[in-house]
Amino acid sequence: MEIRPILSALLRSKTGAFLIAAQVALTLAILGNAIYIVQDRLAIAARPTGTDEANLFYIRFYGFRDGIDVPAMLDADLAMMRAMPGVKSVATANMAPLTQSGWNLSVQPNSNDDSVESTNTAFYYSSENLVETLGLELTEGRYFTPDEVQVIEPSVANVDPRHTVITRTLARHLFPDASTYVGKVIYLGDARMEVVGVVERMQSPWAQLGEAAERSIIVPMRQLDPSAAYIVRTEPGQLDRLMREVEDKLTAARDDRVHLSTTSLPEARANRYRADRSLAWMLVTIMGLLLMVTASGIVGMASLWVNQRRKQIGVRRAIGARQRDILRYFLVENFLVTSFGIAVGLALAVALNQWLVSALEVPRLPLHYLPGGVVALWALGLLAALGPAWRAARIPPAEATRSV
Amino acid sequence: MFAYYFKLGLRSLRRNPALTALMVLTLAVGVATSMSTLTVLRAMSGDPVPSKSDRLFVVQVDNSPADTAAGEEPANHLSWLDAKELLAAGDGLRRSAMYAVGGVAEPEGGEASQLINGMAVNADFFAMFEAPFLHGGAWSAEDDARGGAQVVLSSAFAERLFGKDDPTGRRLRLFDGEYVVSGVLAPWRPMPKYYWLVGGNNRFGDTDEVFIPIRNALANESGPNGNVSCNGDGPEPGFSGLLNSECTFMQYWVELADAGERGAYRERLAGYVDGQKKLGRLPVGERSRLLDVREWMQVQDVLGDDTILQTLLAAGFLLVCVVNTVGLLLAKFTAHAGEIGVRRALGATQGQVFQQYLVQAGVVGAAGGLLGLGFTFGGLWLLARQSEEVAAVAHMSPAMLLATVATAIVAAVLAGLLPTWRACRVVPAIQLKTQ
Repeated sequence: MEIRPILSALLRSKTGAFLIAAQVALTLAILGNAIYIVQDRLAIAARPTGTDEANLFYIRFYGFRDGIDVPAMLDADLAMMRAMPGVKSVATANMAPLTQSGWNLSVQPNSNDDSVESTNTAFYYSSENLVETLGLELTEGRYFTPDEVQVIEPSVANVDPRHTVITRTLARHLFPDASTYVGKVIYLGDARMEVVGVVERMQSPWAQLGEAAERSIIVPMRQLDPSAAYIVRTEPGQLDRLMREVEDKLTAARDDRVHLSTTSLPEARANRYRADRSLAWMLVTIMGLLLMVTASGIVGMASLWVNQRRKQIGVRRAIGARQRDILRYFLVENFLVTSFGIAVGLALAVALNQWLVSALEVPRLPLHYLPGGVVALWALGLLAALGPAWRAARIPPAEATRSV
Repeated sequence: MFAYYFKLGLRSLRRNPALTALMVLTLAVGVATSMSTLTVLRAMSGDPVPSKSDRLFVVQVDNSPADTAAGEEPANHLSWLDAKELLAAGDGLRRSAMYAVGGVAEPEGGEASQLINGMAVNADFFAMFEAPFLHGGAWSAEDDARGGAQVVLSSAFAERLFGKDDPTGRRLRLFDGEYVVSGVLAPWRPMPKYYWLVGGNNRFGDTDEVFIPIRNALANESGPNGNVSCNGDGPEPGFSGLLNSECTFMQYWVELADAGERGAYRERLAGYVDGQKKLGRLPVGERSRLLDVREWMQVQDVLGDDTILQTLLAAGFLLVCVVNTVGLLLAKFTAHAGEIGVRRALGATQGQVFQQYLVQAGVVGAAGGLLGLGFTFGGLWLLARQSEEVAAVAHMSPAMLLATVATAIVAAVLAGLLPTWRACRVVPAIQLKTQ
């Protein structure tokens, strides 16, 4: 291939080539980082909760008068909801996955001695079968029996659970050397809890980054505070209808409480990850614009080069070069410039990422994300240059005889 | 001469229309992405109270346990044990402890009960944070000390309950008790809600609907409507157990007469910590500190990393747009080489050609800036969908309007430097010969 004459021609008009290379380099640096951030955010937003999310909603009421008979209220509400057609299962719950508020308590394995490291957990409690209602997968042991449920009056007694179901992630964290976890002992302050079951996965209400999102525990408990909060699981396709009907029915049932919220888990997921998803879309928009701008720059510069060299192209054609030689000349020229830009861009991408990692909470860029960007820019460069190169190839040999 | 060059520049927009349109468009999208992200960044890092942000301090009395790791931040909140003592000491010009409360308001006349958010504060709160009154005022010092059943309403909440009338002195059933309205605030929405940054993700949201005396809230056992963190064995059961424990759920703010008094206040705070240490409290109390408004906003990460990240990447995009414009201007000016040759031969100096083409680049920038204004509004609309916080601040200010056009012009002129320099070095003789 005739690389040497192309190179020497390029070296004689350095400015344009340098501009294109610089643009390609900057584009690759931004693209490589943005692609990874987008992918990272979308992966975070897609993490499973471990529940039958599509058919779940969470409804909360707040009782504001003194002297509400809480157990009677809860039992009446539960019976009312269970009688509604389409309701598969109902449970009281102090919080629900993805709803971003709830209880966070720390526990210790084996002992409550100060020297034992404590671990923060998402602390779920319910007086009904939360595993069945949420649709969790119980992989070891059993769920609580009804007589294990404790009733706590918060103004006179503290939370003092004796049994617990924990997630596999939390179990592995607390007891790294064990292979089965039923019968293990966990302390919540002075309260000694025995693990009776293990669920495969149950996300916390906050869905934090990393393993912390799956350190959850459930205890069998009913607290006699006047709020009433329920997780409802519906038959497939009944969610929207039942959210309205349950809300209307429970609101009409009593006038000593106000309705706080009714949130489906799909809505809660959208809220939780709204910022991540829209940052991802923002970056996708920037990437799209970036590619368009860079492509237009390459088209513009390639057109300029073709126009400047009409006479020389005519001469080459007149002395025997074929159309495809001319086409190839311009494509190779573009490829050389783009490749130079890509080489610089790779270094720039890594440098930019290192700076972002040190200055902001950005994950380190795995290098295997870069080849995709490299191929994309090569393809973009060739496609952008194809039009002008094609016009160059069509310049007739007679051009050589005309003056510019 | 500038006017003439400007006219030439306008006319040249119509030559090479495709190339010119590409340049204008490139600059417009580049400037719009940068300016819309920058608008959000500026709004989120703005000073909510410029007149006193350097003499208004949040006091963090750190009651973390003895085994707290060295690098950890002091506790976000403080306990009532400490807030009570700081209030009693009475240092500084104004002071207020506070915590978030929530509950139900029961309007008269058959309207449905509604759940509202409120703050339990001291009477100084309103003057400290420059909350303006529409009617009435804060409750008296006596009511503050004995926890009288007085309430200050937000303007929106007062209007919802009482219409446009002045409700001062009227009664209101609130939090299962009877309150007297002592005042109504004028519309007030500090951005962010800096007096209570610890309540989660509502920092740019509406202000609270009611403000009640903190000692009234404590006497009525209004539970904290926010985070409560407890160290050690946790509190005794019940509300008095919470108040007498090391559980933290309050904020304490102090306003000093002058920023220079900060050192003196810090010494008094250290003295208080030493006294408590002698009583066996505050094992790592020496980490206690006071932070002014800007410092506190920084510690609380009001400006999120995502906002910075998208602004940086948008700035990188603008840089690519500028490089692109350099190339396109180079192409455009090269096409004008013949014309430049004629002008030079007729006596134009290199300096005059330089001016003419730089003005031309500036005109392209101005066109890009005007188009970019429209795109910036579009960008802000897109950004507002990120979260309610961003939606609350994603508005264009007149300063940002001007800055958008100015940025486009500066970018175009910078991009035009190299092509213009090349243009004015055209050798007239060669150009004339080839024509």
